Amino acid sequence: MAGFLSLLRRIYLSLYNWTVFFGWLQVFYLAVKTLRESGHEQVYNAVERPLQFAQTAALLEIIHGLVGLVRSPISATLPQISSRLYLTWGILWSFPQTQGHVLVTSLVISWSITEIIRYSFFGMKEVLGFAPSWLLWLRYSTFLLLYPTGITSEVGLIYVALPYIKASEKYCIRMPNKWNFSFDYFYMAIVALATYVPGSPHMYIYMLGQRKKALSKSKKE
Amino acid sequence: MKVTVVSRSGKEVIKGGIDLGDSATVADLQEAIHRRSKARKFYPSRQRLTLPIQPGSKERPVVLNFKKSLKDYCDGNLDYLTVVFKDLGSQVSYRTLFFWEYLGPLVLYPIFYYFPVYQYFGYKGERIIHPVQTYALYYWCFHYFKRILETFFVHRFSHATSPLSNVFRNCAYYWSFGSYIAYCVNHPLYTPVSYHQMKIGFGFGLLCQISNFYCHILLRNLRKPDGNGGYQIPRGFLFNIVTCANYTTEIYQLLGFNIATQTVAGYSFLAVATIIMTNWALAKHRRLKKIFDGKDGRPKYPRRWVILPPFL
Repeated sequence: MAGFLSLLRRIYLSLYNWTVFFGWLQVFYLAVKTLRESGHEQVYNAVERPLQFAQTAALLEIIHGLVGLVRSPISATLPQISSRLYLTWGILWSFPQTQGHVLVTSLVISWSITEIIRYSFFGMKEVLGFAPSWLLWLRYSTFLLLYPTGITSEVGLIYVALPYIKASEKYCIRMPNKWNFSFDYFYMAIVALATYVPGSPHMYIYMLGQRKKALSKSKKE
Repeated sequence: MKVTVVSRSGKEVIKGGIDLGDSATVADLQEAIHRRSKARKFYPSRQRLTLPIQPGSKERPVVLNFKKSLKDYCDGNLDYLTVVFKDLGSQVSYRTLFFWEYLGPLVLYPIFYYFPVYQYFGYKGERIIHPVQTYALYYWCFHYFKRILETFFVHRFSHATSPLSNVFRNCAYYWSFGSYIAYCVNHPLYTPVSYHQMKIGFGFGLLCQISNFYCHILLRNLRKPDGNGGYQIPRGFLFNIVTCANYTTEIYQLLGFNIATQTVAGYSFLAVATIIMTNWALAKHRRLKKIFDGKDGRPKYPRRWVILPPFL
């Protein structure tokens, strides 16, 4: 029974990882193709659906962590997934005025390359039982460039969206109301920007540590 | 006897070890480590001393109790002992920690009530103050004033100190939520609940605060004043039915406040506080059941609710 469940887990995770891999591959391909054919303003329109699909699917990873299907601590994945979903739905989808910005291109390209490597890495581990060392190297090295470019794009796009957020009053709850509750999406966006200040170095340093651990471990083997 | 003090990675913390008499206590060892440590950095409350465990063993290491003799920890050989040292970091007394945590809500809340803060949030003009907002101010401030008094005059702590980092973490929690709730309740556009609901809320809450105080007195009397901590089976009043009656009454008094003031901010604070206290209560309940297992002449811990009858 245990063996059967373990096999089921492997099949499920293989399917999950490779499916999302193809989603991100699509995002990357369409982004580059559209950039060359039509310019950066059209990139969002081309990638919107695969981007939303691939990024939102990551919610499943929180569940995988919670039920113990994977070993990753949710404390590391939760901030990452939250910021991704915030950008995808809370900024880009909600405020179309941001969609034509050039930072969208740098954003989706940074994200898609990172995710293509990450999902194929996990996909191979589930299917083959191991991942080739060049893939391991890519997984723990590309972030050195892609984290800064990705984070800059994220912060930049939130900043670009600010005037539209303020003017539209979207997602705001005003007082007076029975529950004496108020929520201002604009101020939340400011708070979100502020969290990048301690959050980005923290994530980067965490990845540097992971890199050291992963690459030295593979050298020993 | 000769005591070797190593870190968890195996390195010697005190070069050459420490020589102590055979009847020395753990407290003596801690004092010696303190004296021998560089710049006398490692005062006793910073030291966590454990017996070494086999690598790969899943057992939790035995923590040395400062009251006991060192020979109680020697398994056979009374000449040599190895202890594992961990630096717990800078420590503050629990009184210091609690004082700073509670000072925030006590001082910040009235600022939102008395001072024209809301004009900086864009609300110009006069503010009409509803009676419930005034009562909420008194209730809230009484609560934190009570807590500070209890910290200095009532509580007897099991550990003397807490890590310094907890000061920042706990103050952030109390001060942020305190400000957030104060902001919502004293807001110019605040909508009060019915007079009846307010009376029930504050009345119930006050009853719970008084019960909570009595619970603290009962807990205090379980421990001796020499600050040695230790655990006893709590008895009397609500403790006969629930292990952590002090947490129970605390949760209900906050519920009373929320019934009277009705804010999402207040209820979210209640939710977080309940989760935190429930975790503590489960740990305490488990610990008491483990200590009072009914064997070797020890009493058996009676069947009781943990924290929130009839749920847990």
